[in-house]
Amino acid sequence: MLWESVLPNVLAGDAPRAAEPPMDSDAFAGFYERSAQSLWAYLARVSGDAALADDLMQESYVRYLCASRPAANLAEGEVAGRRYLFRIATNLLRDYWRKPRAASIEEIPEEFLATSNSSAQADSRAMLGSALALMRPRDRQLLWLAHAEGYSHKEIAEVTGLATASIRLLLFRARRKIARLLREQNPKEGGEL
Amino acid sequence: MTLSPCIREKEVKELLARGGWPQTCSPELLAHLSGCRACGDLALVTETFKNARADAASAAKLGSAGALWWRAQLRRRNAAVERVGRPILGAQIFALSVSLFIAVGFLALQAKDGLNLLSWFKHRPEALALHLEVLWPSALFSSGWSLALLIPVFATLALLSGVVVYLALEKQ
Repeated sequence: MLWESVLPNVLAGDAPRAAEPPMDSDAFAGFYERSAQSLWAYLARVSGDAALADDLMQESYVRYLCASRPAANLAEGEVAGRRYLFRIATNLLRDYWRKPRAASIEEIPEEFLATSNSSAQADSRAMLGSALALMRPRDRQLLWLAHAEGYSHKEIAEVTGLATASIRLLLFRARRKIARLLREQNPKEGGEL
Repeated sequence: MTLSPCIREKEVKELLARGGWPQTCSPELLAHLSGCRACGDLALVTETFKNARADAASAAKLGSAGALWWRAQLRRRNAAVERVGRPILGAQIFALSVSLFIAVGFLALQAKDGLNLLSWFKHRPEALALHLEVLWPSALFSSGWSLALLIPVFATLALLSGVVVYLALEKQ
């Protein structure tokens, strides 16, 4: 039964053949170069932890390559591939938050806030960082995907696994809340816009 | 909280997506933004997030794509090997269970003979002291089928030890 089907394959080296990646290293390097920065930004901003973002980003790419879908995604286009990557990263973040030791998720690490290039960037980062820290993790994800990545409600639903119908309401509430927080932190900002 | 969409929200969204905000925005739309909370929130949040994205992306320290690719390759290979090894492990467990079942069955069958042997020792203590040959458990071979049972016992033991050794080696 199984022996006949399994053992000859082992001897013939089918196991290593099954491990052939669906994407060659050059194609992956290009995809990585184009998508890694935005994925890292998403993970770092939503988790508030640069070191965690590094780990989760690596794990996201490894899982992306290990999944059987990358080839199909590339056929669909790089946009679909990126969406799939963000979906993996979102699930990893969710798994991380579900762990009992996720006590410091609301904290923004100091070194992350300290690596600034200009005072304007530092202001923007500190302002958004502290406002984001007051948001629920799911709201952070929704806001980032919608406003930083520019995803549509349907795409956000695909990435987060939520229903498309609920995205609109959740996003509306989250946007209203973070806008209020941003205005409270920088009252002149509201007037300028 | 109720949703209060503004008819100009789409226009604001398109301008924000195009970039160059707020220079690309007409004075009339800017005036609308100051009065419309939905559009004002949209513009404020989108601009803040876009700036944060650009800022965070520039701060990203990216690792090597090649290292990730090889790591994924290794994981895929390990997963494939594990998939292939799963039925073998199942067969080993099955063989071990059958062997144990046979061993237990054999012990149960021999229990009666064992009791007979004990009673034989009790009734012939003088023979034990004088003649070494009486130590030979002749009662064991009194019935014809006992010898036939010893062979499967040794075969089972050999099989069991082989399985145990194989499992131990594979674990290492």
